[in-house]
Amino acid sequence: MIEVEHISKDFVAPKKYPGLRGAVKGLFSTEKVVKTAVDDISFSIDTGEIVGYIGSNGAGKSTTIKMMTGILVPTKGTCSVAGTNPSRNRKENAQNIGVVFGQRTQLWWDLPLSESFTILKEIYNVSDTDYAEQMEFLNRVLELQDFFDRPVRTLSLGQRMRADLGAALLHNPKVLYLDEPTIGLDLVVKDNIRKAIKEINEKYQTTVILTTHDIGDIEELCSRIIIIDEGRKIYDGSLCDLKDTYGTKRKVSMEVKQPEKIKGLRLHTVLGMQENECSVELNQESSTLCVTFDKHRLQVPQILSAVMEMVEVKDVQIQETELAEIVKEIYNHGVGGET
Amino acid sequence: MRKRLRIYLPFAANELKRQLAYKGAFYLFILVNLFGSFISYYLWMAIYGSSESAVIGGLTQKEMVVYVFMVYVTASVVTASISTIVSDDVVKGTVAMNLIKPIDYRLSLIAMASGNMVYRFLVPSVFIWIGLEIYKINALGLAPVTIPGIFLYLFSCIMSFLICVLFDFCFGMLAFFTTYIFGMRMAKEALLSFLTGQLIPISFFPAAMQKVFDFLPFSSMVYTPVMIYLGKYTGETLVFMMLRQALWVVILYAAGSLIWRQVTKRLIVLGG
Amino acid sequence: MNTVKRYLRLYRVLVTQFLKTIMQSRVDFLIGLLGFFFTQVMGIAFLYLVFQQIPNLQGWTLDQLIFIYGFAQIPRGIDHLFTDNIWLVAYRLVINGDFDRYMLRPMNIFFQVIAEKLQPDALGELLIGTILVVRSLSKGIVIVDGLHIGLFFVSIFAGALIYTSIKLFFASLAFWVKVSGPFLQIAYDMANFAKYPTEIYSKGVRFLITWVIPFAFVAYLPASFFMKAETSAGVVGIECGIAFVLWWIAYALFHRGTQVYESAGN
Repeated sequence: MIEVEHISKDFVAPKKYPGLRGAVKGLFSTEKVVKTAVDDISFSIDTGEIVGYIGSNGAGKSTTIKMMTGILVPTKGTCSVAGTNPSRNRKENAQNIGVVFGQRTQLWWDLPLSESFTILKEIYNVSDTDYAEQMEFLNRVLELQDFFDRPVRTLSLGQRMRADLGAALLHNPKVLYLDEPTIGLDLVVKDNIRKAIKEINEKYQTTVILTTHDIGDIEELCSRIIIIDEGRKIYDGSLCDLKDTYGTKRKVSMEVKQPEKIKGLRLHTVLGMQENECSVELNQESSTLCVTFDKHRLQVPQILSAVMEMVEVKDVQIQETELAEIVKEIYNHGVGGET
Repeated sequence: MRKRLRIYLPFAANELKRQLAYKGAFYLFILVNLFGSFISYYLWMAIYGSSESAVIGGLTQKEMVVYVFMVYVTASVVTASISTIVSDDVVKGTVAMNLIKPIDYRLSLIAMASGNMVYRFLVPSVFIWIGLEIYKINALGLAPVTIPGIFLYLFSCIMSFLICVLFDFCFGMLAFFTTYIFGMRMAKEALLSFLTGQLIPISFFPAAMQKVFDFLPFSSMVYTPVMIYLGKYTGETLVFMMLRQALWVVILYAAGSLIWRQVTKRLIVLGG
Repeated sequence: MNTVKRYLRLYRVLVTQFLKTIMQSRVDFLIGLLGFFFTQVMGIAFLYLVFQQIPNLQGWTLDQLIFIYGFAQIPRGIDHLFTDNIWLVAYRLVINGDFDRYMLRPMNIFFQVIAEKLQPDALGELLIGTILVVRSLSKGIVIVDGLHIGLFFVSIFAGALIYTSIKLFFASLAFWVKVSGPFLQIAYDMANFAKYPTEIYSKGVRFLITWVIPFAFVAYLPASFFMKAETSAGVVGIECGIAFVLWWIAYALFHRGTQVYESAGN
């Protein structure tokens, strides 16, 4: 459905100088700075896949999406969406895709939502029967009827997101791009939006590409994730693989009675491990001892009994490493051989 | 006073810095504004060429050249456009925020406008002024401006600036009644360019209208300093004109305070 | 033909929606109209005051100058009415990335830009233009015959296209410089030169407004054709030629611009 081959995007900007003196200097300077936002990325996505496209701010996520939607023309490389080149056949491509940018609505701000849908029906040339059928489906999964006659500017953020999603789906696109679809929403609304995305994907085999900072979105929706950093792809694979390979760390924290007793504790020597397989962190103020360990090498009871021999333990909490931390880990160290 | 200056000076400095940051706009707006002056220049040349008498509206052709460009220099220095900020604040509702800050809203705007004024005086007005003065002496053969003349002119300009700022503040308050301040501004600018003497010297108006203008603040905004610069006002007239400017500063200051008090009262009642 | 029909229907739908939103504030509409009307009235008042002092301006009478002035307002008003959104491209849409939305819809981009807005303020200019032209008709200073009436409408259309092309050309620079508003402002203000007979300007200025930014062909030159029998109809012919060439250049630049558009947030 989507083929991205060695795509790159450079931005050229005039150089800026700080301060009042800099402002004066800037008047006469013609120096330029080239920034490579996306650097030689390739991937291919099949029909019906839901792919999470993640990376830190400024990693090049939006730039890639904008190239796939036809907003930006790539500096190098090609991309093909549903058989068309988005920048060369922009109109054709626009008919094939639906787009939701979290912070920016595509709806007519001052008009009732219903009017926006009427306009979109014309713009995308949706026939009356298709329109009726699609509206029925959208009403069921997104419950648009609750606020269908209200001006868009009066909608709550959650309602607006549902409306935007509905608007992007009216012409039943083959590919749906979602840029931060759940940003700023509360948990219940987030959950509804995720359910709706799933249902749409199941019913129409719509290919979905999703950028997000919300790890929940990814865990709920995406069977596959692509991670990029500084414009380069650093991971492309399933979520399970990522967790298996990098999510081997677990954490256990214990509230202890006399923290001063175990000051400077070297637990890994006690247990006969390497330091990177078992590290401790002691917080004197809250009297908590936090142990991070490799789950393939150690078990919780081993740690507990070792600690309890030295000090009295009042409370124990065990945490699975969150995806967010895995991703952070990858950003920090990169992935060997995975580019 | 020292303390006040410390509070409001950053507003002026910031504005100066902000203006310098727009590289393109910086060079271009100079050109845009000068265009109007050149149209006037050519038009007046043609008008004097078609006229039977050498003096029209009390000015010779050479004086008219000086008039056209000094009007530009003066207007670009004294004109303050704080009404856009005021109306923006009103429309966005941030005016209410200013009520809880321990600074005077109007003073902060005036400080900002002063920064803008300094900027526009430095670039490009002062250069055009010097250029004009050289042209005046060499090509037109007129006498150079005297040192007291310069000081009188600059002093009059400062009062003009205050009149403009205070007037514009009142004007910006209109945003409480209509959100379409762009249309209002079009009308205001058209009217001001006419009544302040930018388009045509006030002396061209019929005598009856000139009488009416005597009771309006507009001629004090641009026409008065330019006439002072041209040496058209001397002795008692000069003193009278400057006193009239001072009076308008006081009147518009009072009017602004009155409107502001009314508006804030309403703001508090309505919880804007 | 189907495409034209589709775009006409889309235009109706889009503009109707826009009108619905602005109808919510009729006061604004009136103020805007008056603002532009007023600006032009001041221009006339200026001419009137000047003519108190002189019998004619290089052979032109006050009535003739008023016709030129009024005639100039009509193409300006038409362009202003239909394509005002181009200003936003120059000042805002490109730099803040709102231009994205045009790129995402399956319609011609220029069409989307202009279909998004009608500028009712322009009625102020159209109103004063019409009043002044009608006044000139009643004064009998304008030639009225089949050819002149026909070419009057051709000239107005070509003039409006020249305005649109010049606006589009300078607005398109925004794709490279981000904000091209000031450039556009300068070019647009050049039109003010052409409200008066171009003979009053120096050679350089006359060349500039006739052949570089050809506003003289929008106002003064065709206006003189409608007043003076000895002026050839070829003026309107050249006006049309210029209109099409300019349009072609401006549209090509705009199209190229959409290819280098950088969106926002980088």
